Amino acid sequence: MDIRALVLVNSAWDAAEPVVLSPLPPALLEVAGKSPLQRTIERLNECGFEQVLAVVEAEDSQPPATRNGNHQCIVPASSDRFWRIAENAFNEMAQGGAELVLLIRMGAYTEIDFEKLVQFHLNQQSRVTQVAHQGQPIEVFCISASRRNDAASLFRSQLSRCRSECPLFENKEYFNALSGPRDLRQLAIDILTLKAESRPVGNQVRPGVWVADGAIIEKGARVVAPAFVGSSARVRSHAVVTRCSAVEHHAQVDCGTVVENSTVLPYAYVGAGLDLAHSVVGLGSLANLRRDALIEITDRKLISFASETPGRRFLNSAMAFTTFLPKQIWHGMFGKSQPQQRDLQTALRQTSPALGSAAGYNASACDTEAAGEFPSNLAIVRRYGHQ
Amino acid sequence: MDISSRPVVVKRMPERVNSRTAREFLRDVQPFLTTDRPQLVFDLSQVRQLDAAGVEMLLRCMSEAHKRDGDLKLAALSPQAAVVLELTRTERLFEIFETSTDAVRSFSGFLPNAMRQQLLHQKNTSAPLAA
Repeated sequence: MDIRALVLVNSAWDAAEPVVLSPLPPALLEVAGKSPLQRTIERLNECGFEQVLAVVEAEDSQPPATRNGNHQCIVPASSDRFWRIAENAFNEMAQGGAELVLLIRMGAYTEIDFEKLVQFHLNQQSRVTQVAHQGQPIEVFCISASRRNDAASLFRSQLSRCRSECPLFENKEYFNALSGPRDLRQLAIDILTLKAESRPVGNQVRPGVWVADGAIIEKGARVVAPAFVGSSARVRSHAVVTRCSAVEHHAQVDCGTVVENSTVLPYAYVGAGLDLAHSVVGLGSLANLRRDALIEITDRKLISFASETPGRRFLNSAMAFTTFLPKQIWHGMFGKSQPQQRDLQTALRQTSPALGSAAGYNASACDTEAAGEFPSNLAIVRRYGHQ
Repeated sequence: MDISSRPVVVKRMPERVNSRTAREFLRDVQPFLTTDRPQLVFDLSQVRQLDAAGVEMLLRCMSEAHKRDGDLKLAALSPQAAVVLELTRTERLFEIFETSTDAVRSFSGFLPNAMRQQLLHQKNTSAPLAA
């Protein structure tokens, strides 16, 4: 039986948010090395679909999902012609001999048992079957290719209305709505903790630690399982990546930074000595999941991003290298000398080196040694002062 | 031991705190920081963008206040400010309150149990003498 698949990607981030994590829709953002779109296409290929075609809404010609291949099966489409192109793709499949077409709109990432879905559709003898998850219909359809009018009605209503009544196939496999940073983070956790069927890219260098080709983990850096470091990503000295964190390709975690339960999206840079927890870092923006806040960070010392063009990245690093030495000489000759920090500084007490001269700030009032210099009742005031 | 007699200065921080606005803000609060035992509250409810220079300025103000035996407290942190302070590991250095009123009250209203017991004891022992 000739079964083909058509995957549509045109779900962007919440338009009401003034800040977005990435210009790409969630389905095209890499999570543990591969985008949900790539994972879906691979699953379809593994299930033996004759042809898989993805129509991706993109203003520029080359959608980034094609980075790891699959060039032949991705069609970029502008937003105004998206549904027309999708309908044409369906018609071409039908004319090319397809008997069934599986239509998936992302949005949501789901690991449906395609064989069961097709079997259900055939048993029901319906024209269109829709997939549901926990009773709620999701945008995955199995369409009999000969029923073009039903398909046309679906495409023209942007998958909101079906011409004929379509039975619901209940999906019991993994499902992630991918509607925002929280879902993106959850997908990374589920992949790293093997709750999803899909696996992280790269080699498992230690149990639960996946490192992709070209990733650089500098001496003194720690990657604690479960964690993922993507290709050409860099975890610099004394940085810690822990608790289901994912550092995606070409991302960089600078010296001494702790990345805990967070995702660093491709090309993002996290500055030195920071404490990144429960967050998703995008291009100059950060979504903190605990506070439910999506904020723009303009300070390049804290959060920044590298260029996607290798040439520009090389130029930037060359510039940083050439300016580093004169800057250090200048600081050494004319800069204020900072007192040597005593050995009582712990990771908890240190502030970020990104804060410059104030980074060496010593909270004497909280200092247990300094507390001895004050009368005992004053020390008590300070010790409980935050309560 | 009259803690409440000294004034508490509440200052609202601007919406964007970058190196330029941080310098201006520091210039504004400098007279209060140089007084004896300054008591300051910075209201961060309107802060939408806070960068490293802004955090550095906060630390400098706190350091100046401590030098003169005073204190700086933060109040009504916006999510943006809270995230940046957490990111730079500085939120634990400040006393942070839900509202400016709470922060102001904390300068006078707060007494640790040990001190309260001591005052209560003094009051109890002096009462029969007065009688």
